Amino acid sequence: MATQNAPQSMYRSEEGLGIWEHRGKVAAVGIGHSPTERRWDGHRDTSVGALSILALRKAMEDAGVTPDQVDGLVITPVTTTGAFWPEEDPLPWDVIKSYNQTDDPLDGIAKLSAEWLLKNMPELTNVKYTQYGPTCMSNALNVASQAVGDGLTNVCLVLKAWHNLPGRYYQSGPNAHDTIQGTPAIRTLWGAPACSGTALQFAEYCRKYGKTHDMMAPFMINSRRNGLMMPEGYWYQHRPEELTAEDYEYARWIAKPANLFDNDIPIMMAGAYLFTTAERAKDMKQKPVYILNHASSEAIPRSLTPTLDEVEAETASTARKIYEGAGITAADLSFENMYDGFPQFHQFHIEGLGYRGIKFGEALDFYQTDISIEGPNPVSPSGGNIGAGRSRVWLHTDSIQQIQGRAGARAVTGVKPEIAVSGGPMPLGGNYTVWSATPD
Amino acid sequence: MTKRILISLDIDGTLEVGDPPGDLTMEMVRIAKSKGFIIGTCSDRPLSTQRKILTQHDIEIEFAVSKHMLPDVKEQFEADVYCHIGDRDDLDRQYAIKADFDFMWPDEAAAHHWFHK
Repeated sequence: MATQNAPQSMYRSEEGLGIWEHRGKVAAVGIGHSPTERRWDGHRDTSVGALSILALRKAMEDAGVTPDQVDGLVITPVTTTGAFWPEEDPLPWDVIKSYNQTDDPLDGIAKLSAEWLLKNMPELTNVKYTQYGPTCMSNALNVASQAVGDGLTNVCLVLKAWHNLPGRYYQSGPNAHDTIQGTPAIRTLWGAPACSGTALQFAEYCRKYGKTHDMMAPFMINSRRNGLMMPEGYWYQHRPEELTAEDYEYARWIAKPANLFDNDIPIMMAGAYLFTTAERAKDMKQKPVYILNHASSEAIPRSLTPTLDEVEAETASTARKIYEGAGITAADLSFENMYDGFPQFHQFHIEGLGYRGIKFGEALDFYQTDISIEGPNPVSPSGGNIGAGRSRVWLHTDSIQQIQGRAGARAVTGVKPEIAVSGGPMPLGGNYTVWSATPD
Repeated sequence: MTKRILISLDIDGTLEVGDPPGDLTMEMVRIAKSKGFIIGTCSDRPLSTQRKILTQHDIEIEFAVSKHMLPDVKEQFEADVYCHIGDRDDLDRQYAIKADFDFMWPDEAAAHHWFHK
């Protein structure tokens, strides 16, 4: 049977579940990243399938695990949010045929199945468990954590990959048709950019709390600075461009009050981790980073775009789930790596968490203080999607690297990296992981 | 009397140092500059990066702006001809038309006498 999405029972999406039953018994050990590219150049070795294989092999090597020891594979099968293969374009058969194929010719090109990976990674001889955590690495991490804890897999690779094609993002697929079915028709009919919902929430946030768009600048500058210290990231590898307050202020609006830099840049990349039990991790090459909890938000807004009230209620609920299952409080967080692509909802996430005691409406003031990696209140030390490109992976990689002491120039120095939280994407609809240097 | 010409340059897809590279070489820009044209950049790159790119190629520019700021350029500089050069219809040509600039595609510009001795 083809790999399926994880069952609902694997997610911790309710409040009141108590301490996670596998708290501290699951660990992340290995990390593997492919190089990044802005768009696919059509070559075999730069396809999303190729990048994925590379990242998975690096994760195994990093953990000091041989492929035959891996018995689980959890991935996200969707590799884009807005770059769909144009129906009128011929398929790249030379690349497709150079790999072992599945029934879908775009497998490994514009999407990714566990079956395609296993067909093209013959060294993975003992994988008995495969599962999808759809959409984001954050989701796949929740699934992998639960699967390892439940004993469904002992040594599990987790992967998220992204492709990006020539042409404009969000202009292909259903958006290229004359008609669109279902709810998206209402949004797309008006040509609203993807960031418009977040922009509306941010506009209401500014109105409610008396804040302004330019108060985001320190966060944006900090994120790009951190991202330029992430060697795995796009901006580091290709365009080491800092952002200044002036750069941010004078960027053109995409959906006012969201400007060009309030949107992350779509890229190609693959990121992978090796998860295992705390017991098994002891024998591996890198320091284990223990998982204290995973939590999910599955709230559905009443209308097309969540209101600010709904956002605040849900981020508060998510925080309660995160802390309850991990057996920690906000005061235990060394740093946070909540999602930022779109940056204008990062403050919703950290206000919900009550990071460093901030309450709703206070994050933009908090951004005016020292939020650097050198300070006592590091914000998004990964740099997130703003600092490294659209992957929704950096936040997790950084959390693991910080706690392992492998964050290099990006290492937080104002705090001791002991417990962190990362996850997203949306304030309504996301998955979160609590990482720890110790299992208890 | 010689016409005063202002040239606004997109970067990506327009200049040879863009991502992707475009048809206009930095030497061509230098030639236009040597003719006394008012030269600046108008790109989605951060303003600080726009300045840095041109500085790295020893070209002094009069302005560096975002795409929506062409009207500000027109207000700031007096010229007889205002021309924006870029590779995108939506992000270059349309912004140029809206700001009442002339417009050239990079390949047209590369062949234009402005950029040749």
